[in-house]
Amino acid sequence: MERLLAIWVEELSREKPDGSTLRDSLALLDALCVFCPFAEIVRLGLYVLPVRGPSRFFGGEEKVIAMATDTVRDVTGYDAHLGIADGLFCAELAAREQRVLAPGATTSFRRAQSLEVLGRKDLTTTCRRLGLYTLGSFADVPAARVGERFNQHALELHRVARGDVAELDGQRDLRLAQRLRDLRGEREPGSEQLGFFGQRGAGDDRALAAAHRVRRRLGADALLVASLHGGRVPEDRATLVPWGSPLVENRDRAPWPGQIRSPSPATTFLHPVAVQLRDANDAPVLFDARGVLSGEPATLLLTHYARRAIIWHAGPWPLVERWWSRGRRRAHLQVVLALGEAVLLVAESGRWWLVGLYD
Amino acid sequence: MRQKGAKSPRVVRGTPYGYSYEHMFAFSSTRPTLPENLAASLRPLTLAKSRMLPLGEPWKALVPGGGLRRGSTVVVEAPPGLGGLSLALSLLTASSANGHWAGVVGVDDPGVVAMAELGMDLRRVLFVPRPRGAWAESVADLLDGVDLVVVRPPSRAAHGVARKLVDRVRERGTVLIVLSEPHAAWPLAPDVCFAITESRWATSSRLDARYLNVRVSGRGEAGRASEHVVVLPNRKGRAAAS
Repeated sequence: MERLLAIWVEELSREKPDGSTLRDSLALLDALCVFCPFAEIVRLGLYVLPVRGPSRFFGGEEKVIAMATDTVRDVTGYDAHLGIADGLFCAELAAREQRVLAPGATTSFRRAQSLEVLGRKDLTTTCRRLGLYTLGSFADVPAARVGERFNQHALELHRVARGDVAELDGQRDLRLAQRLRDLRGEREPGSEQLGFFGQRGAGDDRALAAAHRVRRRLGADALLVASLHGGRVPEDRATLVPWGSPLVENRDRAPWPGQIRSPSPATTFLHPVAVQLRDANDAPVLFDARGVLSGEPATLLLTHYARRAIIWHAGPWPLVERWWSRGRRRAHLQVVLALGEAVLLVAESGRWWLVGLYD
Repeated sequence: MRQKGAKSPRVVRGTPYGYSYEHMFAFSSTRPTLPENLAASLRPLTLAKSRMLPLGEPWKALVPGGGLRRGSTVVVEAPPGLGGLSLALSLLTASSANGHWAGVVGVDDPGVVAMAELGMDLRRVLFVPRPRGAWAESVADLLDGVDLVVVRPPSRAAHGVARKLVDRVRERGTVLIVLSEPHAAWPLAPDVCFAITESRWATSSRLDARYLNVRVSGRGEAGRASEHVVVLPNRKGRAAAS
């Protein structure tokens, strides 16, 4: 989960009849975007920004907090409550308590919260009668037991309590972005997702409704859409982003010399799996600084027990990227295993990783 | 009642004024006949064709009707790692390129680049990579909104769950493509079944192409099983006939 700085401005959370709330919110969002372009407004009165980048740039989280406090005071004249935690749900709670959680302290903070923060009265009452007072004790109840007693919505709350889902359903005001855009005078035809969906038809509306349903069921980050961009290897060329996040239109048609040619693996691991390569004498095969292998690969060790014989390999194809800033040296190797499976391996920082399966 | 003496009004052919009603009626012989091809195109479209989703190049010739019938379930059987996922995704390509929506459920780390190489339009693909134990529910949700769903069940589906999904597919007129691996076999008989029996790689200085022996069988028209050799992926990452 991403480390977020949440800014809670009590006075902006209730809309005044004269419409000034929306204008102030927009002004504050613009001011925050000046020092962090990824600042966003979650709902009226609640702003978040990813804090890792700005804190490295400005020299510490305290500096960012001071800047944000000053910005809110300058733009709106109100005092803000600020807090830092992992994930939107905990970040908002931390902001209300004005606490900056150390990295890794989010879990204990979340577990110590009272059940009322989930905002469901019947759940709180029932759990209290069962002797469960905190989110942590609720999270320890098996999901099946929760499902027996409550409905689907409670299961979602249970996922939030366990920390599997970063934000509470209903925490985000989905229409607010559109309202702010209207206020700015940027009128986009259609809704939040137009870029991904191209021209709209009846099928698009049906798909949109289905997507909303899946997202309500599984949480905000379960439904993904893909975007392609430039790169040399399959794992760099595509990203899956949560559906509903802002579109990055980046259709890179550059030639990318050194690109791994098609066909590409049908499974590309988001988190590469560490593996080992051995030669015929069971000695580790290394990729050395001259760009050659230290031996002929004969066995692939997925774990200590799963060893597979290698019948063919191609490569290694060394790849040195960004040598001017933070040199990244990699080498890719295509391997066919004894039963006919083909895999894509990469050597990086002295180890072998499984990055793709041609399955 | 009409009086006896009155004559019933009658259209008289060839009145002195050259006046006739005949051109007003469809049976009139003076009405020009429609061109043959226009008449054919004005007939109501056959339902069977509009209830088909298109299939791409090698599959078109292998499946009766040349497409996937809406409301049908397709099972792709393959040992792990031998091309089952590529085959299931390649069944989506023609529909996706024609503007249909697709969903991919339970495929943990989909190879998006490979899908683009197959020819899919990624703007109309929704991924649910890790449905957290609710894979059947997510498939059911997606079936309401998209035209094709590829699902890789994490474990063997219960008979009742599979039956419910198949009923939903039939009711919604979508197509469900199930990737059935030995540890997670699909419990019901599908409408069309693609089974990979053999897979071998052609190599040069790199992986070039994979030749798959695919057995196509099913119910009804697809009842007679046949075995074919298909190239998937070829040098460009696409599916092709060998």
